[in-house]
Amino acid sequence: MNSVSTFETEAIAAPVVTEARLPMGLLGFERIKDYLLIANASEEPFQWLQVRDNAALAFVVIDPFVVLPDYQPDIPQADVEFLGIEDPHDAILFNIVTVASPTRATVNLKGPVIFNRRTMIGKQVVLANANAYSIQHPLSIGEATA
Amino acid sequence: MLILSRKSGECLVIDGRITVKIVRVEGEVVKIGIEAPSDIPVHRQEVYEEIQRSNQAALTRQNVPLPRLPKLAVPAATFAAKAFQTKNAIP
Repeated sequence: MNSVSTFETEAIAAPVVTEARLPMGLLGFERIKDYLLIANASEEPFQWLQVRDNAALAFVVIDPFVVLPDYQPDIPQADVEFLGIEDPHDAILFNIVTVASPTRATVNLKGPVIFNRRTMIGKQVVLANANAYSIQHPLSIGEATA
Repeated sequence: MLILSRKSGECLVIDGRITVKIVRVEGEVVKIGIEAPSDIPVHRQEVYEEIQRSNQAALTRQNVPLPRLPKLAVPAATFAAKAFQTKNAIP
Protein backbone atom coordinates (compact mmCIF):
# COMPACT_ATOMS: atom_id res chain seq x y z
CA MET A 1 0.00 0.00 0.00
CA ASN A 2 1.33 3.40 -0.93
CA SER A 3 0.89 6.14 1.54
CA VAL A 4 2.21 9.66 1.43
CA SER A 5 3.04 11.36 4.66
CA THR A 6 3.68 15.05 4.87
CA PHE A 7 5.07 16.86 7.83
CA GLU A 8 4.76 20.54 8.63
CA THR A 9 8.38 21.16 9.50
CA GLU A 10 8.18 24.93 9.02
CA ALA A 11 6.07 25.50 12.07
CA ILE A 12 8.61 23.97 14.42
CA ALA A 13 11.78 25.24 12.70
CA ALA A 14 13.91 27.26 15.08
CA PRO A 15 14.05 30.98 14.33
CA VAL A 16 17.22 32.32 12.75
CA VAL A 17 18.55 35.02 15.06
CA THR A 18 21.23 37.45 13.95
CA GLU A 19 22.73 40.20 16.10
CA ALA A 20 22.54 43.57 14.41
CA ARG A 21 23.75 46.99 15.44
CA LEU A 22 22.43 50.39 14.46
CA PRO A 23 25.07 52.83 15.78
CA MET A 24 22.71 55.76 15.16
CA GLY A 25 19.56 53.93 16.20
CA LEU A 26 16.33 54.36 14.26
CA LEU A 27 14.87 57.81 13.72
CA GLY A 28 13.02 58.63 16.91
CA PHE A 29 14.83 55.80 18.73
CA GLU A 30 18.38 57.08 18.51
CA ARG A 31 19.46 55.62 21.85
CA ILE A 32 18.51 52.02 21.04
CA LYS A 33 21.43 50.62 19.10
CA ASP A 34 21.49 46.86 19.66
CA TYR A 35 18.97 44.64 17.95
CA LEU A 36 18.28 41.04 17.06
CA LEU A 37 17.06 40.22 13.58
CA ILE A 38 14.71 37.28 13.96
CA ALA A 39 13.48 35.22 11.02
CA ASN A 40 10.81 32.57 11.45
CA ALA A 41 10.18 30.46 8.35
CA SER A 42 6.47 30.47 9.13
CA GLU A 43 6.38 34.27 9.10
CA GLU A 44 8.08 34.87 5.75
CA PRO A 45 8.48 37.33 4.17
CA PHE A 46 8.38 39.22 7.45
CA GLN A 47 11.16 39.34 10.01
CA TRP A 48 11.49 40.97 13.39
CA LEU A 49 13.94 43.67 14.33
CA GLN A 50 13.78 43.23 18.07
CA VAL A 51 15.40 45.43 20.67
CA ARG A 52 18.16 43.21 22.08
CA ASP A 53 17.66 44.16 25.71
CA ASN A 54 13.87 44.20 25.62
CA ALA A 55 12.14 41.32 23.86
CA ALA A 56 8.79 43.12 24.16
CA LEU A 57 9.93 45.90 21.82
CA ALA A 58 10.19 45.03 18.17
CA PHE A 59 9.62 46.25 14.66
CA VAL A 60 8.25 44.15 11.84
CA VAL A 61 10.43 44.44 8.75
CA ILE A 62 10.25 43.17 5.20
CA ASP A 63 12.48 42.90 2.15
CA PRO A 64 11.20 45.88 0.14
CA PHE A 65 11.66 44.10 -3.18
CA VAL A 66 8.97 41.61 -2.16
CA VAL A 67 6.63 44.58 -1.86
CA LEU A 68 7.81 46.55 -4.87
CA PRO A 69 10.02 44.59 -7.30
CA ASP A 70 11.12 47.75 -9.11
CA TYR A 71 12.02 49.66 -5.92
CA GLN A 72 14.99 51.88 -6.76
CA PRO A 73 16.32 53.32 -3.52
CA ASP A 74 18.78 56.14 -4.13
CA ILE A 75 21.17 55.70 -1.21
CA PRO A 76 23.31 58.74 -0.40
CA GLN A 77 27.01 58.07 -0.98
CA ALA A 78 27.79 59.16 2.59
CA ASP A 79 25.60 56.32 3.87
CA VAL A 80 27.22 53.78 1.55
CA GLU A 81 30.59 54.87 3.00
CA PHE A 82 29.33 54.86 6.59
CA LEU A 83 28.12 51.28 6.16
CA GLY A 84 31.36 50.24 4.49
CA ILE A 85 29.52 48.77 1.53
CA GLU A 86 32.02 48.06 -1.21
CA ASP A 87 30.08 45.52 -3.19
CA PRO A 88 26.33 45.65 -3.86
CA HIS A 89 26.05 42.12 -2.43
CA ASP A 90 27.22 43.47 0.93
CA ALA A 91 23.91 45.25 1.41
CA ILE A 92 20.71 43.92 2.93
CA LEU A 93 17.66 46.14 2.89
CA PHE A 94 14.74 46.00 5.27
CA ASN A 95 11.79 48.33 5.43
CA ILE A 96 9.71 48.84 8.53
CA VAL A 97 6.12 47.60 8.45
CA THR A 98 3.28 49.12 10.43
CA VAL A 99 0.81 46.35 11.16
CA ALA A 100 -2.67 47.73 11.79
CA SER A 101 -4.35 44.31 11.75
CA PRO A 102 -3.67 40.86 10.26
CA THR A 103 -5.24 42.11 7.04
CA ARG A 104 -4.00 45.68 6.99
CA ALA A 105 -0.39 46.79 6.98
CA THR A 106 1.75 49.46 5.38
CA VAL A 107 5.46 49.70 4.71
CA ASN A 108 7.72 52.75 4.92
CA LEU A 109 9.56 52.97 1.60
CA LYS A 110 11.18 56.36 2.31
CA GLY A 111 13.54 55.20 5.04
CA PRO A 112 14.91 51.67 4.56
CA VAL A 113 17.15 50.12 7.19
CA ILE A 114 20.28 49.01 5.37
CA PHE A 115 22.80 46.55 6.81
CA ASN A 116 26.23 45.56 5.70
CA ARG A 117 25.87 41.78 5.52
CA ARG A 118 29.49 41.23 6.58
CA THR A 119 29.35 43.35 9.76
CA MET A 120 25.59 43.46 10.45
CA ILE A 121 26.04 47.14 11.17
CA GLY A 122 23.22 49.15 9.75
CA LYS A 123 21.55 52.49 9.44
CA GLN A 124 18.11 53.82 8.70
CA VAL A 125 18.78 55.76 5.55
CA VAL A 126 16.68 58.67 4.33
CA LEU A 127 16.67 58.06 0.58
CA ALA A 128 17.81 60.84 -1.69
CA ASN A 129 14.69 60.03 -3.71
CA ALA A 130 12.43 59.72 -0.63
CA ASN A 131 9.87 61.92 -2.36
CA ALA A 132 9.31 59.21 -4.97
CA TYR A 133 8.04 56.76 -2.34
CA SER A 134 5.28 56.51 0.20
CA ILE A 135 5.81 56.31 3.94
CA GLN A 136 2.61 54.21 4.12
CA HIS A 137 2.80 51.98 1.08
CA PRO A 138 -0.05 49.48 1.46
CA LEU A 139 0.82 45.78 1.46
CA SER A 140 -1.41 43.78 -0.84
CA ILE A 141 -2.37 41.03 1.54
CA GLY A 142 -3.55 37.77 0.06
CA GLU A 143 -3.11 39.06 -3.49
CA ALA A 144 -0.58 37.99 -6.05
CA THR A 145 2.31 40.43 -6.38
CA ALA A 146 3.52 39.15 -9.75
CA MET B 1 18.25 81.06 18.16
CA LEU B 2 21.27 82.67 16.59
CA ILE B 3 20.28 84.64 13.50
CA LEU B 4 22.94 85.71 11.01
CA SER B 5 22.73 87.46 7.66
CA ARG B 6 24.58 85.81 4.79
CA LYS B 7 24.88 86.53 1.08
CA SER B 8 24.85 83.83 -1.54
CA GLY B 9 28.24 82.15 -1.76
CA GLU B 10 28.96 82.82 1.92
CA CYS B 11 29.38 80.11 4.53
CA LEU B 12 28.97 79.28 8.19
CA VAL B 13 31.26 76.92 10.04
CA ILE B 14 29.84 74.91 12.94
CA ASP B 15 32.09 73.19 15.43
CA GLY B 16 35.01 73.42 13.02
CA ARG B 17 33.77 70.48 10.96
CA ILE B 18 30.41 71.38 9.47
CA THR B 19 30.22 73.96 6.70
CA VAL B 20 26.90 75.45 5.65
CA LYS B 21 27.03 77.38 2.40
CA ILE B 22 24.32 79.57 0.96
CA VAL B 23 24.57 78.42 -2.64
CA ARG B 24 21.80 80.47 -4.22
CA VAL B 25 18.77 82.54 -3.31
CA GLU B 26 15.88 82.42 -5.77
CA GLY B 27 12.82 84.26 -4.52
CA GLU B 28 11.53 82.29 -1.54
CA VAL B 29 13.85 79.32 -2.12
CA VAL B 30 17.30 79.18 -0.59
CA LYS B 31 19.68 76.52 -1.85
CA ILE B 32 21.99 75.40 0.94
CA GLY B 33 25.09 73.23 0.66
CA ILE B 34 26.16 71.32 3.76
CA GLU B 35 29.49 69.63 4.24
CA ALA B 36 29.60 67.44 7.33
CA PRO B 37 31.40 64.27 8.41
CA SER B 38 29.47 61.17 7.34
CA ASP B 39 28.58 60.32 10.95
CA ILE B 40 26.50 63.49 11.23
CA PRO B 41 23.06 62.89 9.76
CA VAL B 42 21.54 65.79 7.86
CA HIS B 43 17.88 65.57 6.90
CA ARG B 44 15.11 67.82 5.67
CA GLN B 45 13.10 68.30 8.83
CA GLU B 46 9.76 67.19 7.34
CA VAL B 47 11.12 63.88 5.96
CA TYR B 48 12.93 63.20 9.22
CA GLU B 49 9.79 63.82 11.27
CA GLU B 50 7.66 61.74 8.92
CA ILE B 51 9.96 58.72 9.31
CA GLN B 52 10.20 59.30 13.06
CA ARG B 53 6.39 59.22 13.37
CA SER B 54 6.21 56.16 11.15
CA ASN B 55 8.77 54.33 13.32
CA GLN B 56 6.85 55.21 16.45
CA ALA B 57 3.63 53.88 14.93
CA ALA B 58 5.39 50.70 13.79
CA LEU B 59 6.89 49.80 17.17
CA THR B 60 5.09 46.77 18.57
CA ARG B 61 5.09 46.15 22.29
CA GLN B 62 4.27 42.49 21.96
CA ASN B 63 4.26 39.97 19.15
CA VAL B 64 1.45 40.88 16.82
CA PRO B 65 -0.06 38.39 14.35
CA LEU B 66 1.55 39.07 10.99
CA PRO B 67 -0.33 39.36 7.72
CA ARG B 68 0.17 36.60 5.16
CA LEU B 69 1.86 37.65 1.96
CA PRO B 70 2.44 35.52 -1.11
CA LYS B 71 6.05 34.40 -1.38
CA LEU B 72 8.25 35.74 -4.12
CA ALA B 73 10.60 33.42 -5.96
CA VAL B 74 13.54 35.75 -6.58
CA PRO B 75 16.04 35.98 -3.71
CA ALA B 76 16.37 39.32 -1.99
CA ALA B 77 20.12 39.63 -2.55
CA THR B 78 19.60 39.82 -6.28
CA PHE B 79 17.34 42.80 -5.85
CA ALA B 80 19.59 44.52 -3.34
CA ALA B 81 22.43 44.17 -5.80
CA LYS B 82 20.26 45.68 -8.51
CA ALA B 83 19.45 48.66 -6.34
CA PHE B 84 23.10 49.47 -5.76
CA GLN B 85 24.05 48.94 -9.38
CA THR B 86 21.29 51.34 -10.35
CA LYS B 87 22.62 53.82 -7.84
CA ASN B 88 26.16 53.49 -9.12
CA ALA B 89 25.08 53.77 -12.73
CA ILE B 90 23.36 57.09 -12.09
CA PRO B 91 25.67 59.19 -9.94
